[in-house]
Amino acid sequence: MAHITINQYLQQVLEAVDNREGSFCAELLSFKHPHVANPRLQLSSPEEKCQQVLEPPYDEMVAAHLRCTYAVANHDFIEAYKFQTLVAFQSHKEENWALPVMFAVTLDLRIFANNAEQQLQKKGKGQPGDMLEKAAEQLMSCFRVCASDNRAGIDDSKKWGMLFLINQLFKIYFKINKLHLCKPLIRAIDSSNLKNDYSMAQRVTYKYYVGRKAMFDSDFKPAEEYLSFSFQHCHRSSQKNKRMILIYLLPVKMLLGHMPTHQLLRKYDLMQFADVTKAVSEGNLLLLNEALVKHETFFIRCGIFLILEKLKIITYRNLFKKVYQLLRTHQLPLDAFLVALRMMQVDEVNIDEVQCILANLIYMGHIKGYISHQHQKLVVSKQNPFPPLSSVS
Amino acid sequence: MSNRRTSRRISHSQRRGPPAGREWRKNQGTWRSQGETAMKEAEEEKPGCQEQETVPRGSCQSMCPLRELREREAQKRLHRFEILEGTEKDRRPRADPSRIVKEYSRPAAGKDSTIPTDLRPPAVLLKTVCYLIDDVAASPSLHPWTEVYNFVFDRLRSVKQDMIIQRVSGLESMTILELTVRFLIYASYRLCGEPLRLYDPRINDTHLQESLSWLLDCYATGAGPHPNQEEFQALSLLYNLGSTRAMQHAMELPERLRNSPTVSLALSISRAFLERNPVRLLRLSQKLNFLQSCALHRHLGTCCRDLLLIYSHGHSSRNCRFPLNRLAELLALERSLTAQLCQTYGVEVNQDNQVVFSKTAFTEPEQGKLHCELYHNKVAEKQRDLTVGSVIHGYT
Repeated sequence: MAHITINQYLQQVLEAVDNREGSFCAELLSFKHPHVANPRLQLSSPEEKCQQVLEPPYDEMVAAHLRCTYAVANHDFIEAYKFQTLVAFQSHKEENWALPVMFAVTLDLRIFANNAEQQLQKKGKGQPGDMLEKAAEQLMSCFRVCASDNRAGIDDSKKWGMLFLINQLFKIYFKINKLHLCKPLIRAIDSSNLKNDYSMAQRVTYKYYVGRKAMFDSDFKPAEEYLSFSFQHCHRSSQKNKRMILIYLLPVKMLLGHMPTHQLLRKYDLMQFADVTKAVSEGNLLLLNEALVKHETFFIRCGIFLILEKLKIITYRNLFKKVYQLLRTHQLPLDAFLVALRMMQVDEVNIDEVQCILANLIYMGHIKGYISHQHQKLVVSKQNPFPPLSSVS
Repeated sequence: MSNRRTSRRISHSQRRGPPAGREWRKNQGTWRSQGETAMKEAEEEKPGCQEQETVPRGSCQSMCPLRELREREAQKRLHRFEILEGTEKDRRPRADPSRIVKEYSRPAAGKDSTIPTDLRPPAVLLKTVCYLIDDVAASPSLHPWTEVYNFVFDRLRSVKQDMIIQRVSGLESMTILELTVRFLIYASYRLCGEPLRLYDPRINDTHLQESLSWLLDCYATGAGPHPNQEEFQALSLLYNLGSTRAMQHAMELPERLRNSPTVSLALSISRAFLERNPVRLLRLSQKLNFLQSCALHRHLGTCCRDLLLIYSHGHSSRNCRFPLNRLAELLALERSLTAQLCQTYGVEVNQDNQVVFSKTAFTEPEQGKLHCELYHNKVAEKQRDLTVGSVIHGYT
């Protein structure tokens, strides 16, 4: 396969098209397949050859694809992107057998857009995100074709292509930080009756992004649901993907009171979370701040720094629970909490702030009780003054 | 804001002998044309080379193009601030060339907004903005300020339009955006509470957000140094208090910038908001300067509400009392205003000036019953003897 001639290659494409072998055809147009490394196929102007063998529109598609391989061989991703655009544009067809082709082509399109973007940035040209935004437009046009396919029966429907395209679009939108654009796509899937019938791989990716989006919008309960689904159903050999899911699932779980085990963190090489976990469950604000500072770059890059900061509230709760356990009374002097916070080197904290933090914890249901300002005491319930975290929020 | 983006022209090459009956192909450019033409087209379509496409360049050297001056004179559409002194009473008032400024006009089909004589180059735009700030917005003699605002707002909008059409970037555009943002932030405080027909906070907000995000983009992509960057990163955080996006952006800033006193104070305030700790937030906000307080001011209502809400839950016991004075101190409001605020939220204040918090009594007031002016004193105190001009120029 790797060293076939152009004629042999074109013959294979012709057969694949004639037999409507979508996935084989997709391979022949995909950059994941070894043929792209074959120098005999890397032509700068393959149009005529293609025309001789193939019927339109396949001739143009394949020609563009070959020019693309030529550009990639020359490391010119800007050029490659352009030809890939052309391939993508033309992959709509009357039935849905060619969906795998569209998947392969659109996937490469996104990757090239990414590379082209980097090349442009290096040259100092263009606005950041421009290339990816344009690729998103292309994907959108494919998406519209798929979403509006109402004629065919469900088996022949191009609607089966929607989720794949949505996932590609999500990848772009997350990259260029335009999360608000995800909303209509999510709505399209929510209202689709195919939503549970797409391939598991696609659903795992989809839920991963929807989960991250929910997390960004501070909807932690649904975020946990989506990300858990994604984690549980992700293929066991995809350790890298499982790790990526965990990066977001862990903070959400922690916010809801479930702490990860050491083994899990070790298994997925996520020891950055180890100190955070320890700090939160011990109520050790000092350690939490240290851990956040220490792995700041990692947490910021993943976009979870702010969510981890929200763990402070739970850390306060755990710290205050310790105060309660030490003093063994239901009427706790506010001063005791002030001392605890000062021990944790919370800067510039005063008794007003202690009241405020306690009031917030009571409001959120983390503490059952009330503050008596006259007596400067926190009076906690005799039963279960610190309800388990998983029962709150 | 896609307006900075270059419009993309796609050249279509004519396909030789197109097969009939293939509708979809008619619209598609093809790569079939051989040899050089194809290469040339490829060159043209190359994204990134678009900048070489003709970007309109302005040649108008005054604040208002002559054509518009004549037109508006003839149509009697001169603003009161633009009329030549002494001709106000004339049947057809004349324009004062030193005071007339190009007005904003909506882009419409068939209208060519790229005529060089109608566009002002960056230097003239900057001069225009300075005129608008120094001689109009900061003028002690022009009244009422709502009218001043509407005039300046519209003319700044046309400045922005000229910038977008010419794809202006660089130092001048940054200065223009900085002045615009300061003006809009100041206006958002000064005009808060004015009737909707005189001041629409929504529209002000839209323009403010656009200019601000454009400015932050300039900082991110333009070569430094940007001496005012700290100030505007902080303003962005304060104006967008609680927005994950704004905070995420700030977190991604280089450490040196993030740890500068200005940005770090703004971040601490944002964190206090995130943790729902209004006591800390209000305490920290006392360290803000006047313009920063203006930016934060629209969130003060939420903060005070949060405080009453969590205190209503935290101190909810029949025998508990909370001194009104203490609460007033926490809210940094006068005692009478604090009592008024409590009443708005259904929180009881008894005859001995003690607050009786109860979680069942707390109620959200109806829309329109909230008066933002309650908090204006807090901001006003900070203005002291700062003039409008010095605020917008950033002299603090």
